Amino acid sequence: MPLKKRVPSSKTNPGVFLHTPWRKRLCLLLLLAILFLSFIYAVSIGAVYLNKTEILYIILEKISGYKNNDVALMDTSRDIVLNIRLPRVILAGLVGAALAVAGATFQGLFRNPLADPYIIGVSSGAALGASFAIVSGLSLGFAGFGAVPIMAFAGGLVAILLVYRLSRAGNRVSVMTLLLAGIAVNAFLSALVSLFVYFAGEKMHQVVFWMMGGLEGARWSYITGMAPYVLAGFLVIYFFARELNALLLGEDTAYFLGIDAEMFKKVFLVAASLLVSAAVSTSGIIGFVGLVVPHVVRLLAGPDHHFLLPASALTGAILLIGADTLARTVIAPTELPVGIITALLGAPFFLYLLRNQKKIRYFSRN
Amino acid sequence: MGVRLNLCNLTVEYGAFTALDGLHFSVKEGAFVALIGPNGAGKSTLLRCISRILQPTRGAIYLDDRDLHKLPLKQLSRLMAVVPQDTAVDFDFTVEEIVFMGRYPYLGRLQKETPRDREIVQEAMQTTGIAHLAQQPATSLSGGERQRVVIARALAQEPEILLLDEPTANLDINYQVDFLELARKLNREKGITIIAAIHDLNLAAQYFDDFILLSDKKILAAGKPEEVLTPENMNIAYRTPVVIGRSPLHGKLVITVLKHWHPDKKGTLNAGQRVHVIGGGEEAVPVLSLLREAGFQLSVGPVTREDSSHRFAAYHRLPVITLPPFSPISDEYYRQHLDLIREADFVVIPSIPFGCGNMRNLEAVEEAISSRTRVLILEEQPFSLRDYSKGKAGAVYERIKAKGALLLPDKETLLSALEAFSAG
Repeated sequence: MPLKKRVPSSKTNPGVFLHTPWRKRLCLLLLLAILFLSFIYAVSIGAVYLNKTEILYIILEKISGYKNNDVALMDTSRDIVLNIRLPRVILAGLVGAALAVAGATFQGLFRNPLADPYIIGVSSGAALGASFAIVSGLSLGFAGFGAVPIMAFAGGLVAILLVYRLSRAGNRVSVMTLLLAGIAVNAFLSALVSLFVYFAGEKMHQVVFWMMGGLEGARWSYITGMAPYVLAGFLVIYFFARELNALLLGEDTAYFLGIDAEMFKKVFLVAASLLVSAAVSTSGIIGFVGLVVPHVVRLLAGPDHHFLLPASALTGAILLIGADTLARTVIAPTELPVGIITALLGAPFFLYLLRNQKKIRYFSRN
Repeated sequence: MGVRLNLCNLTVEYGAFTALDGLHFSVKEGAFVALIGPNGAGKSTLLRCISRILQPTRGAIYLDDRDLHKLPLKQLSRLMAVVPQDTAVDFDFTVEEIVFMGRYPYLGRLQKETPRDREIVQEAMQTTGIAHLAQQPATSLSGGERQRVVIARALAQEPEILLLDEPTANLDINYQVDFLELARKLNREKGITIIAAIHDLNLAAQYFDDFILLSDKKILAAGKPEEVLTPENMNIAYRTPVVIGRSPLHGKLVITVLKHWHPDKKGTLNAGQRVHVIGGGEEAVPVLSLLREAGFQLSVGPVTREDSSHRFAAYHRLPVITLPPFSPISDEYYRQHLDLIREADFVVIPSIPFGCGNMRNLEAVEEAISSRTRVLILEEQPFSLRDYSKGKAGAVYERIKAKGALLLPDKETLLSALEAFSAG
């Protein structure tokens, strides 16, 4: 569709609001503040409403061992905060951040606005692993993880590896082939998952629930188990933000700028896949966070990954914490799978972006 | 000036298909080289090889004394920059952000840009004339502006060698010239060695110092324009007959692709008729061209080798009387001319100037005019404005008219008159 040609009106980039470095820094601080507030808010609400200062005291007490005698903290409150809500909210934040960063990375790597964290088969691989673990009743444990997350993590990585091997020709990986191989492998693995679901019998609802995505299984061991992957994946990608910027202009151009495009494609592929696998293994398949968040951030601040990556991480965390809070409170005491909430909110929002083509102009040629 | 790039037996094969077959050549420091050749000759492959996107199957490229393909990538990107053919930008980077990427080869990991980097980026944008667009999103630019952004980025790399892949292919004529002016300025002022694959031979001839002509995966010729741009080479490489002349405006070579003449049905009706056209001066050529297309057999009056109608006659192998340069028409040439006129059914005098030098051509017409040899005069401009003989030619002209020559105001009427006469 033809796009309206914008008339350059001033010296500043009219398409992007946050174009100066200090505005970008301010924006990151603002996001951090919102994250903190939504974190406290999310911990406070639930079946039992908890006072916000109480929460802060409990956390403070836990971290520093400092006891405030003026406030009488109930053991039940302490229990709820430390063992139920805190791990859940933190996990939501981690998963949201991981998905958003992985989405931004895949969109950049594939130079495709429709890329999402699951584009090259992590989700279906993980789903296959998880459904196998659920259906077979596999009993397996490692570092506080049960069979399902371990199998999901492994399944996701195996799927990526398969796609990667399929699309490699000699020492080169074509991004286009990667995308197509991803679609094919996705379809094949999804069929296997359906087969499992079909024969799952009474465990069927468990498999389906897992695939809808949810954070109800959150516990501290999940966080300690996945946080290192998320952190490592994010740091690697952020460390090479410059390379990712150059790759946006095409592999040849990146190469002319002294960047080994072949190598960095692999680096980003591995790092983003680790992020997604870690997220999926603990929370199932949560859609739309990884697709929409990077788009929104690009709208505000342009495609520079030095800003896009941290801002996406923060926005993703905020979004998923919010969505998860909604999921567990909206029809309490029953919980909705959070994947339903993100898709319900994310899809219309994405459509809104599509309708206002001008706003996703950063992907279109004129 | 030393030799910078040295290609030794460079061969590229894709499986059984050979894309480049044993290329040898060298490019001197500070050279301004056009890489020409027909589609599929291997221009892009060669550029991709020099820019290291492609690995040669055999042979090597040496930059100074080092194997280019073994140089660390980052080091190479400080020496050589590439402007690719496709400069489309998908993402909304600002112009400045894109130009700044040219500094990547110089930045250490996690190193912030220095004021020096910013200075170089500014200078690059000024050189290419896009400084005022610095904060614009690159997606909002026109093709010509975008290309300048990409050149600015290449300049920010501070390269010693610049590769341009079909830089003028997607530009309109004004941007094409601007672009090549800019490239030449960079070559002359900054001493950047430039190798450009280019399709437009005339533009290339106008700007470039050296040429490499690729044909059929090999180098057919390399060197100065006069050595490379010859009709023989062009015919082998492009399989098209061309005429190579010099532009009267800039003295550079001008390549004209020759038209294939297919006389139409109407043309064959005129085939038996012989028309003699008095040559000399630019105005004769359009008349010759028109009559040739209409199918008449032509001959051309006495002209020197330098005359444009002589070139026309030579290419179409028309009977022509060739005069020695700067000489009056001798009796012998006068007689030859008279014979040629008498063999013709019609004589056409185009709207050309006459002076003491070619006045005898008119006298020959006057002598030959008869009921068998009709004379048609094309007078697109009053004769007095074309008379450089102080009226002497004018007198002959008047006598020809008086003897029954037909006076015609424009080429179309001339053609219809000729056709009417030849149809009887």
